[in-house]
Amino acid sequence: MIASFRKKSVNRVTKRTRPVLYSLFRLIILLAISYVIVYPLLYMISSSLKTASAFQDPSVLWIPKIFTDENFKVAFEAMDFKNAMLSTLGFEMVSALLETATCAVTAYGLARFNFPGKKLLMVMLVLLIMVPPQMIIIPMTINFSQLDFLGILKLTGGLFGKELRPNILDTAACFYLPSLFSVGLRSGILIFIYHQFFHGLPKELEEAAWIDGSAPPRTFLQIALPSSSVAIITVLVLSVVWHWNDYYLAVMYTSEKFPLAVSLASLPQRLSLIGIWPGDIRNTLGVMAGCVMFVVPILIVYLFLQRKFIKSIDRVGITG
Amino acid sequence: MKKKKHAGVERLKSRYGLLFVAPFIVGLLLFFVFPLLSSVQYMFSNISFEPGNTVITWTGLENIKYVLFEDPYFINNVVKGFSTFAYSFPLILVVSLVMALILVQKFRGRILFRGISFMTVIIASGVVIEYVLRYQGSDITGAGVETSIMEDMIDVESILTVLGLPTQISGYFQVVLNSIMTVIWNSGIQTLLFISGLQAIPDQMYEVSKVEGATKWEEFWFVTFPMLSKILVLVSAFTVVELFTAKTDRVVSSAYTMMQSQNYHESTAMLWIYFLIVGVVIALLYIPFHKFCLKRWE
Repeated sequence: MIASFRKKSVNRVTKRTRPVLYSLFRLIILLAISYVIVYPLLYMISSSLKTASAFQDPSVLWIPKIFTDENFKVAFEAMDFKNAMLSTLGFEMVSALLETATCAVTAYGLARFNFPGKKLLMVMLVLLIMVPPQMIIIPMTINFSQLDFLGILKLTGGLFGKELRPNILDTAACFYLPSLFSVGLRSGILIFIYHQFFHGLPKELEEAAWIDGSAPPRTFLQIALPSSSVAIITVLVLSVVWHWNDYYLAVMYTSEKFPLAVSLASLPQRLSLIGIWPGDIRNTLGVMAGCVMFVVPILIVYLFLQRKFIKSIDRVGITG
Repeated sequence: MKKKKHAGVERLKSRYGLLFVAPFIVGLLLFFVFPLLSSVQYMFSNISFEPGNTVITWTGLENIKYVLFEDPYFINNVVKGFSTFAYSFPLILVVSLVMALILVQKFRGRILFRGISFMTVIIASGVVIEYVLRYQGSDITGAGVETSIMEDMIDVESILTVLGLPTQISGYFQVVLNSIMTVIWNSGIQTLLFISGLQAIPDQMYEVSKVEGATKWEEFWFVTFPMLSKILVLVSAFTVVELFTAKTDRVVSSAYTMMQSQNYHESTAMLWIYFLIVGVVIALLYIPFHKFCLKRWE
């Protein structure tokens, strides 16, 4: 009542202009934020295509008069791009896929069943989200350098006289193992997203399947998973992106087969190894080119998944 | 008889539940609980390497004493970390909430703007953003200068001259603008979580508030905000972890430098002390929020 009274008292002109003003205001905020986001990317691309002299030339703003691929060539060589790409794909991306799969299984178990110790597991899940990965990276690295499961492998030393404790650092195993057990890179939050989704999914269909004699693993594969593409896409995109950008774990686990993120992080030093010192403009430009080469593959993947991802975010239903 | 059968079904189901989470339990023990416990051990020990073996000797409070009293940078770095947190945290929450509130509305170009704002999720967590935001430009002499791209984007000095303000204060504006830029780049995931939370609020709530005659402002404070309270806790937790473990955080980066020279014990002690301080401060901040906001909304 009050509101309608208020509305009537407002004169006609403001009544009509208010929504227009509001959308204008909205547009300004969006444009400002988009400017902040897009500008650095364009800057990066534009300067990676410039020669050193064009970069300093104040008359060249965005589009250089002569395009050059010199920076890309230099960065490609310095980053050891081919091998770095292979390790990113072989270590990180496979690990992301494994994580997407195993986190779903764990979250389904937590969301659908009651079992003793479930509360404790939920507390552990919160801890897994909250405890920074840096806390456990050192013990993990030491453990991976002399692989052992709770002292079991050490026993082989007593039995056979020779210890079977392989060093799995710098191999795919140290990326795959945690992901296989759904405690990989930021698994906590991924399990949480899945958990929220399964929690909101109607139970009836699965109960009907149970009555019809389908065991839960089969119900999970044939009924729950096909209807949860929304959650799967959300988690997949996040996991792939986080693995692609992962620096902290990769820098400790690898010593030669560096993934892209690690070799990009040391690109200025790597460039100085081939004679382009930091301070030289070509070094800056080379780094820009490296950034472009690093970003473009993941951007292409994102552009393909973008529409589905955006829709998934709407429907995944995280309520905290 | 019937009851017994029912209990049997429950037991069977709970066994299936355990089957689903069994890998997770194993993984937690192997790759979370035990590493965490051994990092507690490392905090009080000295670690050295012999071929094929790691030697851990108990040294008591040595490492902690070193970090607290001998390391010249630690206290300073902690203060820096908290001052970054003090302004970034509220700003990130506000920016991401505003973005989410705008992006859930239906308007032309929504998909485009959403695509752009989610782009930060894809790039921000990585190495790239550090280069792009910090490591930029060089002056005409060719000497590399660490400037921010912000200076390129907005010419603060000329704006100040137009407004008739002294140009000496442009430095402060630069710092503020720089922070805003970092904040926007770091609020991608938060926006995403907020959008997902906003979509989960039932439409009936808004219909009721419309019928009751609430203004937009009242609708936000009495419907949207309380309904978001739980996701707010999640987003806050995530933001706290992100801010204190970012690559730009000085304590974390100095601990990483120590790690790479295989100084494992002192870096572990440093991280433990840091994150314990962080944990205590966050708990102190969370308790009043829980008491005065969450409880009341429920």
